[in-house]
Amino acid sequence: MADEKTLPEEEQVATPDAAPSVVYDDAAEEAKFMAARKAQIEEDRQKPFDPNAILEVRHLRKCFPLKKTMTGKVTQELIAVDDVSFKLMPGETLGIVGESGCGKTTMGRAILKLHQPTSGQIIFDGKDITDYKSAQMREIRKQMQIIFQDPYSSLPPRSTVGGILSEPVEVHNIVPKAQVKDYVLELMDKCGLRDYYYERYPHEFSGGQRQRICIARALSVNPKLVVCDEPVSALDVSIQAQIINLLKKLQQDMNLTYIFISHDLSVVKFISDKIGVMYLGAMMEYGNKKDIFENPLHPYTKALFSAIPHPDPSVKMQRIALQGDIPSPANPPKGCRFHTRCPYAKEICKHVTPNYKEYEEGHFAACHLLDEE
Amino acid sequence: MSKEKKARGYLSGREIRAITKANKKVMKRLEAQKYRKAEESEFLTEMKDPGNILEIDNLHTYFFTEQGVVKAVNGVSFNIPKNATVGIVGESGCGKSVTSMSVMRLLQGPQGQIYSGSIRFKAYDYKLDEKGKPVPAPAGSATPYEMEEKVYDIAQMPMREIHRIRGKQIAMIFQEPMTSLNPVFTIGQQLDEVTFIHTPGATKEDAKARSIEMLNLVGIAMPERVYGAFPHELSGGMRQRVMIAMALAADPRLIIADEPTTALDVTIQAQILDLLRNLKDKIDGSILLITHDLGVIAEMADYVVVMYAGKVIEQGTVEEIFHNPMHPYTIGLQKSKPTLQSNDDTLFNIPGNVPNPINMPDYCYFKERCDKCVKACSGEYPCMVQVSPTHFVACHLYDKEVDHG
Amino acid sequence: MDEIELKNPSVEEEQDTPLDQNVRLMSPTQMLLRRFFRSKLSILGLIMVVGLFIFCFLGPVFYTRWGETDLDKSGKTEYATSETTYTVDGVTYTLRQTTETHLVDNFLSAPSVEHPLGTDDQGYDVLARLMYGGRVSLLVSFMTVFLLTVFGVLMGGIAGYFGGAVDNIIMRICDVLMCLPGIPILLILSAAMDGWVSLDMIEENMRIYILMLFLTFISWPGTARLVRGQILSLREQEYMVAAEAMGYSVSRKIFKHLVPNVMPQLIVQMSLSLGSMILYEATLSYLNMGIKAPYTAWGSMINIITTNPNILQNHLYVWVPAGVCIVVAVLGFNFVGDGLRDALDPKSRR
Repeated sequence: MADEKTLPEEEQVATPDAAPSVVYDDAAEEAKFMAARKAQIEEDRQKPFDPNAILEVRHLRKCFPLKKTMTGKVTQELIAVDDVSFKLMPGETLGIVGESGCGKTTMGRAILKLHQPTSGQIIFDGKDITDYKSAQMREIRKQMQIIFQDPYSSLPPRSTVGGILSEPVEVHNIVPKAQVKDYVLELMDKCGLRDYYYERYPHEFSGGQRQRICIARALSVNPKLVVCDEPVSALDVSIQAQIINLLKKLQQDMNLTYIFISHDLSVVKFISDKIGVMYLGAMMEYGNKKDIFENPLHPYTKALFSAIPHPDPSVKMQRIALQGDIPSPANPPKGCRFHTRCPYAKEICKHVTPNYKEYEEGHFAACHLLDEE
Repeated sequence: MSKEKKARGYLSGREIRAITKANKKVMKRLEAQKYRKAEESEFLTEMKDPGNILEIDNLHTYFFTEQGVVKAVNGVSFNIPKNATVGIVGESGCGKSVTSMSVMRLLQGPQGQIYSGSIRFKAYDYKLDEKGKPVPAPAGSATPYEMEEKVYDIAQMPMREIHRIRGKQIAMIFQEPMTSLNPVFTIGQQLDEVTFIHTPGATKEDAKARSIEMLNLVGIAMPERVYGAFPHELSGGMRQRVMIAMALAADPRLIIADEPTTALDVTIQAQILDLLRNLKDKIDGSILLITHDLGVIAEMADYVVVMYAGKVIEQGTVEEIFHNPMHPYTIGLQKSKPTLQSNDDTLFNIPGNVPNPINMPDYCYFKERCDKCVKACSGEYPCMVQVSPTHFVACHLYDKEVDHG
Repeated sequence: MDEIELKNPSVEEEQDTPLDQNVRLMSPTQMLLRRFFRSKLSILGLIMVVGLFIFCFLGPVFYTRWGETDLDKSGKTEYATSETTYTVDGVTYTLRQTTETHLVDNFLSAPSVEHPLGTDDQGYDVLARLMYGGRVSLLVSFMTVFLLTVFGVLMGGIAGYFGGAVDNIIMRICDVLMCLPGIPILLILSAAMDGWVSLDMIEENMRIYILMLFLTFISWPGTARLVRGQILSLREQEYMVAAEAMGYSVSRKIFKHLVPNVMPQLIVQMSLSLGSMILYEATLSYLNMGIKAPYTAWGSMINIITTNPNILQNHLYVWVPAGVCIVVAVLGFNFVGDGLRDALDPKSRR
């Protein structure tokens, strides 16, 4: 797992306390970095949309105001998602991994425009939907859906299963009125729900069944893109496997594109074609599943791999122990966000924000250590 | 959906009244039992094996709800040897948490009751004279009173005596570090309190010294600063460390950790697991670890108890359970967990859902989800089969006396 | 150990029923009724409220002997005899003087078969007045609560759903309205109305309705705040985000998804404010700002004691029944409200 061959030998012995050879001017470095990013954003804005991609996200940024003055000027903000870009082809699954506070949920919701992005572009199906008004969005909504983590709070408590599932079908006129019930029953069957659940209320079901109802609701409008926001985190292991297999089967049947958000690398590995690793709002590493798993570049990705407890008592893992806690996203560390916990951090990491670059074909990462090779 | 079919799914008013009436009677009797006055001799007992610290014997814990009796723990037996870590693993609703709550007697009355069975716990407590007063120790000893080892049957203990074991003898670490600390007191105040309660005659300085020592023990870098901090100033991982420090402060003989890392991030979980593993060697006590995560169990436990629908279906050492799982449920559970190593296309999954604990059948509860059923599976519930000195499984497949047709 | 029936009535043996579905549960209505009727107080409250309604609205149908404004004209003729004795020349003369007084009204008569609760100082039948007075009290408070709920839901819903400046404006209006002292303003308004009545601008009996309308106006902020708070917390629920993601229209989101989930709290709030509105109405009537003779309300019936201290002490039957009715009504509504709160709160599992 944690092979360290991608790092040069001397980096491993370097301690964070080593005397700085260069003195960095934080403000100047910050300004330089921001200027470079701005130029990059401008350049990318001119590029044509990829006609094959179903979803293209360019430099997505979402900030939440934390403090405001009386006049409404924002004095402190939480950068939940900072400059995230990726492209997704139809039928693909993108897995997003990260710990709490890394902005993965916010990113998923910003893509669906459940949060209005602060800046950046979201190109869905060849249309730039970033500035669509809510009336325009309502038409797009049936093409992009979301499945939530908590199957208990994501179903309205006072409607029956039938009501929950037929409402979107009726609102979006998916099938003629007379066929709605048959359509819903067929959908329930597809998602592994029995037909007599139709008259039941959500509170009568276990977590796994409720998650099936949520999936059926999301699929009732025939979407092209589904954002799965930790859909199995709240479920038992045996049910997790059922739901993941169901999602995979439905993907093949309906040619769906997934963005699968999870904190669990092993689950993401199972369902994804591409994987993005996020930390404190920024993408740390992005690439094909194979690249990420066989040749992880970023120290954070490696640490994530080694942190997962292995279900075999005879395997004693060599852990890359991460020191300390995740910093608050409202006040991320200067320079590289990960330097406070990175076992290989150097002086430059504390001051200069690393660039997010393509190191191999389709394999991106943001780390100073990689530049020194 | 016809009206009949819909109505059939629900209880009728008469049935509900009948259930309530039956429940009321039992609940009243058990509540009276719980709050009775009792001599110490009534709940003193003997261990079956002196090497154990806790023996749970045929424990039944029921919840008397209006929709029926939920047999959350239905005849559970297992032992915790001295200085060992025993892990209970199972899915939600399998009764693993209720088992730990029964040991601590934290069940929500009057609905939740220990119906029968015994929980024998070897305590190290004050020696009492005939009047029930602690015997003062001779001058110069470490404790103000004489101590002795005695075995309590926790299930028989009246509530007024429970303070003898809670916290002092058995400590608990909860899942939610966010809500288990009182937000209006500093960490120091909450830690000191533990010392004050369990060490009679401790001064403020003693308590503080002890608290700082505990914070050091759980790997908190700046214990003085954390000592004066309020819970909201700490991160989730730090709070869980503080919770562990609180559990350790009274020097308990048994620590119950109920999903201690479930609410934490992976990297933080790794830190806490490392901490717990190191602590195991440092402290003189056993750990009962409850979790749904097989990885955590594999890393931490010496013995594993697998529970399903209120019953123990398999138990053994950690090697036996992970390298030679026997019950189809244990096998399925291990296969359905995606690992970083596996490269299969579809995950193995156990079909069906966890059964509803109301109204269980007489046959094996796992029958309908099991792909290895034999003829005997439609018959009685399988009894425990011993496959090795430490390995037990409740499955007809391994029972030589039944029909395998 | 006494053996108990631990088995539950199960679904008829069906081969394909999985173990997680073989149990029969309570339907939502059953659960609600069960939780409501578990408390003895809520049953008592329900009996009180229903009893009062039957008494006030069905009572006059059966008790037809006296109407609300029927005066008992069967006053008796009283004879008073006085004797004067004087002596003229040693002869004693006695002068007997008889005064015949004919009382038209049978007032302040003690309870009898004719008047089960006696008559008041005007000669009206107290029982009949109690029934008709109750109608006014109950109707007025129901109307007020209905109006203030509708208005409160509207304003609270708008504030909670749209947030931002709209929310700010509505909530500040609420703050201002909550600063207004109710009773003093009602007194002033009532005094002003005396003038309008004498100028024939409004009818005498409209007075109480106008006053209660004003009461509505100053008490909707309570409901609005409740609804706003509920909607703010519901809006964060994932099923509302799901509704947003489904592309439902704003009105569908508010009226099909939000309002039904606010209903439980609203119903509780309504039943509790019914009690306080009855008290308000009684206070207004007691201060003689409510309905005027010959019509009556419970508060006005108590007001009689202010005219004649003798009644307060010696004719309890005139004013105590009205007081009892007010107490029963307020207690009843509060008990029902508390019972509903427990029944509708999904968190109260006990």
